[in-house]
Amino acid sequence: MTGFLVRRVLSLAPVLVLVLLIVFSLVRLIPGDPAVTLLGPGATQAQIETLRQQLDLDQPLPAQFLSYVNGLLRGDLGQSLKTGLSVGGELLLRLPATLELAIVALVMSIIVGVPVGVISATRPNSLPDHAIRLLSLVGVSMPAFLLALLLQLTFATWLGWLPVSGRMSPYVAAPDLTGFVLFDSLVTGNGAAFASAAQHILLPAAVLAAFLAATLGRFIRNAMLETMGEDFVRTARAKGLTRRQVVLGHGLRNALLPAITIVGLKFAEMLGGAVLTETIFAWPGIGRYMFEAIKNRDYPVIQGTTLLFALLFVGSSVLVDLLHALLDPRIRRRVAS
Amino acid sequence: MTRLADVLRANPLAGAGAALLFALVLAAAFGPMLSPYTPTRLDILHKLEAPSLSHWLGTDGFGRDVLTRILYGGRVTLAIGVGVVAIAFVVGATVGTVAGFIGGWVDAVTMRIVDAMLSFPALVLATALAAVFGPSLQNAMLAVAITLAPQFARVAHGQAVAISVKPYVEAAITLGLPRRRILVSYVLANGVGPLLVQSTLSLGGAILQTASLGFLGLGAQPPMAEWGADVALNLDYVRSAPWVTLAPGMAILLAVVAINLIGDGLADWLDPRRRTEFHRGPL
Repeated sequence: MTGFLVRRVLSLAPVLVLVLLIVFSLVRLIPGDPAVTLLGPGATQAQIETLRQQLDLDQPLPAQFLSYVNGLLRGDLGQSLKTGLSVGGELLLRLPATLELAIVALVMSIIVGVPVGVISATRPNSLPDHAIRLLSLVGVSMPAFLLALLLQLTFATWLGWLPVSGRMSPYVAAPDLTGFVLFDSLVTGNGAAFASAAQHILLPAAVLAAFLAATLGRFIRNAMLETMGEDFVRTARAKGLTRRQVVLGHGLRNALLPAITIVGLKFAEMLGGAVLTETIFAWPGIGRYMFEAIKNRDYPVIQGTTLLFALLFVGSSVLVDLLHALLDPRIRRRVAS
Repeated sequence: MTRLADVLRANPLAGAGAALLFALVLAAAFGPMLSPYTPTRLDILHKLEAPSLSHWLGTDGFGRDVLTRILYGGRVTLAIGVGVVAIAFVVGATVGTVAGFIGGWVDAVTMRIVDAMLSFPALVLATALAAVFGPSLQNAMLAVAITLAPQFARVAHGQAVAISVKPYVEAAITLGLPRRRILVSYVLANGVGPLLVQSTLSLGGAILQTASLGFLGLGAQPPMAEWGADVALNLDYVRSAPWVTLAPGMAILLAVVAINLIGDGLADWLDPRRRTEFHRGPL
């Protein structure tokens, strides 16, 4: 298994170098002189020169890239042009909020998506199947910002059940151990903080989860329908297994493995949706940090957040491969041989 | 046409999607001619009016007729979606086909770049590119097309690799036909089918992404009507006059649902295993 992991990570090296090159090129794609554009029309020549030096724009391109990679290896992602703070530090501060939101959304999407897919596949073309398919279709077609606004209006404004935005009520003290508020409040036994955090995370997590739940439901339905036509399922039926055993033990079990790939890839894509969701729900994560940087034309922050999202994307694809190897004995055997 | 009729018969939902999309395109094409209002004329005295007979979807914060803006915005949003997919198709298909046909180090390097571009969440890369290029509709379009092109390159590459070893391509090479002609008339021409399906599947995503960039302020700029930008523009009124904010969002939803219904129908029709499910009874 370690050999598999090492080979998988090594195979990523060229892609990672190219990812770095793309992120590095972002600032260089700014039309005209990036330093002049970044500082705006009122900048003095001295300010422009200082920024050019700060961004290494006075060096030849290969030297700029090496200096960028060198900085990254030391954990230096540059400074925010707006606040002067270290981008790496700011990202670390915000990462737990985004990850917590994404994990809750992932759990929600699995809880909804898997049973929905199974129900749909076991009764194809029935009324529940049609209803589920229609809802899934709406789920994958819904702009995230529209769903966010609809949920805010319904559950926060009209019903008043949940807060409109934010991560915690300002009247509740949040424990701070790891930055994961739900986890921290559980560990410290702070019920009030946990309740407040749970209430705040529900709506943004539901928005992120909707797309993944719909995709997962559709995928499981189709995969199970395909599996249920296979010979081994016919054999299982002929053997006299109950319908439940056939559906769950053969149909769902065989559909789950490819579903992990879908979940892994879509999870990373879901993280990308955090830019919209966090902005609408004033969630203090990386997505909102990126949106603020866009408004302020704070390019080092845009670069840093883009790189972090790409690394999370690549990381989750490695994790998916590992899970596959762990769960599928055929892959394990291939690796062993 | 018989084939299209088959698809629609086998999957009536795809037919419903086609009808809905046709209606939206008709509305965007001819609706503005029927509307007595212009999408950019301010009328502050009548701002935020509720839906009525004179303003079917009410008026926005500047007193502009919401329905008229949706009809004009439809032209922009739908045309941009098609434009984005067209750019991604041309660039991706060219890159993928050439790389797959030539092979060797050109293929290896090109496809690693494609892999690297696919390593970014699409919306994040599109947002970063649009932010760097500067906020405008053209730049947003370009940014989304750049993030979509690698998907087309992947499909085209797979096709090109498979077709390049077919006997008729080898025969063409043996006959001494120019490589460019073989590439266009044999490899690309025979691999275009899956690329067209990819176009349908990508269209909904392209519209959603461009609208999302518009919502983030990186797409169409005021006073131009565009569905995503119009949702963001009216965000302040979402509680006091929700119809103003939600109506353009619903228009995006309808368009993407219609396109996805067609895409689903096509995918079902092309996949024989999925086609059988329509005839299969309960388990």
